[in-house]
Amino acid sequence: MSATDQGQPGQHPLDDQTSRRAFLKGVAAGSAAFMALGCVPGAASAAGGELRLRWQEFFKKNYRLMTEEERRETVARLERLAAVDEGLQVSIGCEPPLPRVLFGYAFNITRCEGFMECVTACIKENNLDRRSHTQYIRIFEMEPGHLDPSAGDGRFFHEVPVENKFYMGTQCFHCENAPCTKACPTRATWKEPDGIVVVDYDWCIGCRYCQAACPYFGRRFNWAKPEVPQQEVTAQQHYLGNRLRPKGKMEKCTFCIQRTRKGRLPACVEACPTGARVFGNLLDPDSEIRYVLTHKKVFRLKEELGTEPKFWYFID
Amino acid sequence: MNGNTLVRAGRSCLLAVAALAVVAGAALCAGGGPSFLEEIKAHEEKIDKGGPVAVSPVTRPVVEAREPYQGGTFAVLARKGEIGRYPCSSCHGKGRVLVNNGLQLTHGDVVVNHGREGNSLSCIDCHHPEDRDALEDKKGNRIDFDHSYQLCGQCHFRQKRDWLGGAHGKRVEYWAGDRVVYNCTTCHNPHSPRFAQRFPATYAVPLP
Repeated sequence: MSATDQGQPGQHPLDDQTSRRAFLKGVAAGSAAFMALGCVPGAASAAGGELRLRWQEFFKKNYRLMTEEERRETVARLERLAAVDEGLQVSIGCEPPLPRVLFGYAFNITRCEGFMECVTACIKENNLDRRSHTQYIRIFEMEPGHLDPSAGDGRFFHEVPVENKFYMGTQCFHCENAPCTKACPTRATWKEPDGIVVVDYDWCIGCRYCQAACPYFGRRFNWAKPEVPQQEVTAQQHYLGNRLRPKGKMEKCTFCIQRTRKGRLPACVEACPTGARVFGNLLDPDSEIRYVLTHKKVFRLKEELGTEPKFWYFID
Repeated sequence: MNGNTLVRAGRSCLLAVAALAVVAGAALCAGGGPSFLEEIKAHEEKIDKGGPVAVSPVTRPVVEAREPYQGGTFAVLARKGEIGRYPCSSCHGKGRVLVNNGLQLTHGDVVVNHGREGNSLSCIDCHHPEDRDALEDKKGNRIDFDHSYQLCGQCHFRQKRDWLGGAHGKRVEYWAGDRVVYNCTTCHNPHSPRFAQRFPATYAVPLP
């Protein structure tokens, strides 16, 4: 460790908040030199910078414990690592929740006609694994008289809409009382103040307890590193949203956090050709979502569980 | 009334009280407070449109709607720019059309599939019979192509009511900022408003 890393003169070394990081930097540089001598041929200085990034990434905190500055530092590191590892120029954000905003969603089961354009938009926007056909949204073709998607057909592929059938979409419902967040042993998933249930991919250990705890089958697991064609990667990303996930991490719908925290609509809402999807701020009495909740017959799935999903179904 | 019936009446009274107590207890256990929906609806304070997050204006051409929304105004996507041969008066009402342009100009591509079977609409049910640059409703009001919701709404008043409120149709790009919504004709072909049957954009595989 160099003398400049020792902190202010007169300050006790233990009080120095940066000493841990400085120590790790030293370790990173040392191991880089070691590896350059031992097994990595050439490019010692470049590998040193990269190794330092990886060390710092490995020892970073849970997203919720980071200060704003630490968040900016980690997204800057992740952007550089994306360039190093994938050759991608991405912009990863860490926008905080907006004040006086609670996101809510409504789905019109009279209007949905099963075109599934929401699903393709979601795959593209959220950089979902193309190889395993990971999809956050599922659309079920339902017989009249049923309101439980498990009684519907989720694997239809024929011309839609079919006479005398209706269509019902599911995804993560962003429960106000979310059971998945209580199941997580590492507190890698939680509900943000604006109501979005998110995952810190770097704290997820891949145990899938949350997947078992979710009564709505809203979570997806990366059995392998997601494969996304390079030219199709959505570059506008968020730390808690659509950034490229490592292998063995849980992921889910985030109401397109990278879009909605900037005031945009989620990709599924924007793509819906029939206007069956309504998204907005539940705390705004003038919002569309509040109009739906006030003027339409609404219901939610498995309301008796007390999970309080912020995703309502309604009929015209 | 003999003693036996009195005892029986007293017993049923007691049972009723006990049942009430059980119900009240259950209500207390379940929280008894306002439901989540009631909590949401309790937020009555208006939020300024420039409020939580600033968004850039919609880039597509819009016009201000001639209907109020929640006491304010809103915008709809303009239509005229989307109509390939608008203004219609460039052909209609300016002398004769040459025969060799006839096929292209007779609107043979327009298939009207609007209205119940056997009771289909004709052109001048919606188009103005004199002023071809406009529409006309059944009361004889001239209606601008950009404000076709005024025309559609005379029959589809339920849909128009939902559209004004936000339960039908959709907003353009942003949930925040000034309200800009799709016009009726942005999604629906006015000559054939029902969406055609087609294959879905993708398919689902079983969950892993």
